[in-house]
Amino acid sequence: MNNPFSLKGKIILITGGAGGIGSAAALACIHLGARVILTDIREDALQTTLVSLPASQTGEPNLCFTADLTDAEQLAALVDFCPQIDGLVCNAGVMKLTLTQFITEEELTRIQKINLNAPILLTRSLLKKKKIKKGGSIVFTASAAGVYRVSIGNGIYATTKCGIDAFMRTVALELGPKGIRCNSVNPGMVETALIGSFTDEEKEKEKLNYPLRRFAQPEDIAYGIAYLLSDASSFVTGTALKIDGGMTLG
Amino acid sequence: MTENYNPFSLSGKTILVTGAGSGIGRATSIEASRMGARLVMVDINERGLLETKEMLEGQELDHLFFVVDLCDETAIDAMVKGLPVINGCSNNAGITKLTPIQFITSEEMERIHKVNLIAPMMLTKYLLKRKKLSRPSSIVFTASAGGVFVASYGNAVYATSKCGVDGYMRTAALELASKGIRCNSVNPGMVETPLINRGQITVEQHEKDKENYPLGRYGRPEDVALATIYLLSDASSWMTGTALKIDGGLTLK
Repeated sequence: MNNPFSLKGKIILITGGAGGIGSAAALACIHLGARVILTDIREDALQTTLVSLPASQTGEPNLCFTADLTDAEQLAALVDFCPQIDGLVCNAGVMKLTLTQFITEEELTRIQKINLNAPILLTRSLLKKKKIKKGGSIVFTASAAGVYRVSIGNGIYATTKCGIDAFMRTVALELGPKGIRCNSVNPGMVETALIGSFTDEEKEKEKLNYPLRRFAQPEDIAYGIAYLLSDASSFVTGTALKIDGGMTLG
Repeated sequence: MTENYNPFSLSGKTILVTGAGSGIGRATSIEASRMGARLVMVDINERGLLETKEMLEGQELDHLFFVVDLCDETAIDAMVKGLPVINGCSNNAGITKLTPIQFITSEEMERIHKVNLIAPMMLTKYLLKRKKLSRPSSIVFTASAGGVFVASYGNAVYATSKCGVDGYMRTAALELASKGIRCNSVNPGMVETPLINRGQITVEQHEKDKENYPLGRYGRPEDVALATIYLLSDASSWMTGTALKIDGGLTLK
């Protein structure tokens, strides 16, 4: 049976691939028939993730490439390393809660470089080097934060994620005629290392804001990414896909 | 081995689809059957339903169909009484007619709102009342980009009905989350279905209109069907209250 959600034979580049949503997306992509190229700044975690993944069914191996995407040379090296790809998942991101009056320019710059500048520059370079195939799909991991809701201390992160969605829509408009689609997933709270700074008590309290009464597992977001990468979504471009357990309803 | 791995599978699920006799509803029924679902199909048009039924996979699953006028609340309840417990519902039946606002009549408005807005609300009500929705289950509404994300000339009645559907979808998502029932909508731009070919718009106008779509085409029923399947499947089990825009980039500019 042909699965319209299949990623058979596709090559997918995933940033932030060493853990969390990135590695869950890699697993879903491989299971659906793709071959993945993972990149992350964390070399050891990246290697561990790569060896833990099943082999690709494409006959070619999954690959990984350690890179700090805020470094122009390393970003260029990653782009050179990549073959032509069918899908790009710009997923790497960091978060740090800081009340507005304590924001430092240094912190602001660091987070924006990782969450916003790196995906923009990576997309640019891949396009410039014609590494994204016609019919390809770009997915950004944005957030419900900033785009749909704000929360105390989350100003910098929220700003970067709003920026990503504006960029996503612009790229969708520019690349539509070339047959390259561009969308985002916009998750609420996901059980990953990113939210590790919250105490268990804080987490339980926060869950009450979610009508479905739980946080997401990385897979919940990975399946949204897989849908947007697959040809099942071939008429979807410029869409922010909210995956938030109903958090933004109330 | 991952040959059979499919998080988007509907295997073992019974799925109700309204407006199954043509267009998006037909495509949704066919695609859902390919993903392993048993279908319960509803339409006012018996011939269309019979045609769709022939196109389904999994004929051994004993797919059901009901010829029902969804504007008739009593008929809805009577149908629901006879249903098996379902795991998903695609509230998809809808009609449209372009009318400039100075020519809107209340009869015409009521007719369109009854089919597009009141019928899905009543169907959902009776499904709940008669305990026909399993826990968990998923309800998907075919809303529209029209009204929700973009306005167009002569489309006021349709647009208000679809905005209403989305308002209802979010409210139902909030109310039913604790029961494990998720509610989402698909919001297509123009889709190549019988709905857009009723002689009100010429082929030339459609071709010109396609230039507004960055992807250079209208949607196909399958595009909306597959989004509906994603929302019906367990792959979306943390999604509720989301309007999924499927518009080829129409609303970007």
